[in-house]
Amino acid sequence: MMTYIVFILSVIFVVSFVGFSSKPSPIYGGLVLIVSGGVGCGIIMNFGGSFLGLMVFLIYLGGMLVVFGYTTAMATEQYPEVWVSNTTVMGVFLLGLLMEVMLVLYVLKSEEVGVVFKFSGMGDWAIYDTGDSGVFSEEIMGVAALYSYGAWVVIVTGWSLFVGVLVILEVTRGD
Amino acid sequence: MNPLIFTTILMTVLLGTMIVMMSSHWLMIWIGFEMNLLAIIPILMKKYNPRTMEASTKYFLTQATASMLLMMAIIINLMHSGQWTIMKVFNPTASIIMTSALAMKLGLTPFHFWVPEVTQGISLTSGLILLTWQKLAPMSILYQISPSINLNILLTMAVLSILVGGWGGLNQTQLRKIMAYSSIAHMGWMTAVLAYNPTLTMLNMLIYIMMTLTMFMLFIHSSSTTTLSLSHTWNKTPLTTTLILITLLSMGGLPPLSGFMPKWMIIQELTKNSSIILPTLMAIMALLNLYFYMRLTYSTSLTMFPSTNNMKMKWQFETKRITLLPPLIVMSSLLLPLTPMLSILD
Repeated sequence: MMTYIVFILSVIFVVSFVGFSSKPSPIYGGLVLIVSGGVGCGIIMNFGGSFLGLMVFLIYLGGMLVVFGYTTAMATEQYPEVWVSNTTVMGVFLLGLLMEVMLVLYVLKSEEVGVVFKFSGMGDWAIYDTGDSGVFSEEIMGVAALYSYGAWVVIVTGWSLFVGVLVILEVTRGD
Repeated sequence: MNPLIFTTILMTVLLGTMIVMMSSHWLMIWIGFEMNLLAIIPILMKKYNPRTMEASTKYFLTQATASMLLMMAIIINLMHSGQWTIMKVFNPTASIIMTSALAMKLGLTPFHFWVPEVTQGISLTSGLILLTWQKLAPMSILYQISPSINLNILLTMAVLSILVGGWGGLNQTQLRKIMAYSSIAHMGWMTAVLAYNPTLTMLNMLIYIMMTLTMFMLFIHSSSTTTLSLSHTWNKTPLTTTLILITLLSMGGLPPLSGFMPKWMIIQELTKNSSIILPTLMAIMALLNLYFYMRLTYSTSLTMFPSTNNMKMKWQFETKRITLLPPLIVMSSLLLPLTPMLSILD
């Protein structure tokens, strides 16, 4: 199983995305986002990026999703929608699940899967230790590069986040 | 809005477009688009009534979808070419998805439905920014990927846009919706020639921005948002009726005004590339555009539009001073003899 752990985690990733895009109430969407965040962290960790995976948990789940959960809890209704409460939501969820199951079976059975990209069966998901990364881990070098060569990206994204807060305050301020 | 915050947000809109136009890395371009979108939302929502909020929401949803499609095209391009530099997109799937994403951002048919509704819901100044500045960023990306765009899709979208822009504007009396449909039609003209000679796309963009700026400023000057209220300008500032006449005819593409220049060049370029039916169709459909411009000029400057006696005096605060208006009017009507200057756009 450990050879195919990335594949299994990717399937759970897609299923949880189907879970929140079938639009139950935001609280349950947040619940499924937690699952997808954890699973995404697992996928990144399997490629050797332990720092980035833990960053997902800390900042994404522990920061942004907590704030989202609090704001949703303030704005929630008395009987929020679950996946089984509304026929439409359940229908979309089951449809998404069905599509995912069919895709998984297609990948497992055939040698080559060509949806938009060509994947050669299960081979592309298994983790081999062929990384010729030498002495340093690629992932930490990426983070280091962000703060050295990529200083402009840091400035731009930092400014975007700042302006995002300004915009949110401006939009919700009202008159 | 607090002036400091407003300035910051306006500068961020400018910064977003600048980042899109100046970046060589696809990810930065996407970041530029998102920054632009995020910062223009409070500008669209300057007044807090449900109409502006609905318009801003519609704008945000369509543009966010377009950004997502753009990101998907970028990643497909990355997978197939292995690099992030902006140049022509080699994979046909990525090229089609990217063209659709940029068409959604510009408001080309079949993604044009948001343009009239959003433009109608916001104030005149915000509509001005929406229809002129926001077109620069997607058009610059289209210019850069133009060698690889699927010609069938591009020309279909262009011709349909000209048709929808002309036909859809026929039944409108609200000036903002008229300008929105005019924008759809002009975007169609711009993208039609993109695969043949992208310099003419830039020329058309330049002339279109000048003419749209002039029209919007004339509307702001007379504080009019409907045909009826525009038809009262003869009483307030009779000079602007003549200027509205000239600028509208220029937008319709009549020689000897500058609006004729891009249409002439585009038709010439298309016929040089042995397509005859296409520019004929485009020229015929531009007549639809001309019809509703002429209807506006008829009601504004050529007749005294019927109205009740108590509406004849237009009540407004002191006359707005728009410094840029006279040069813009001159430029949007008299530039035709300067056509050889378009070589500076190369």
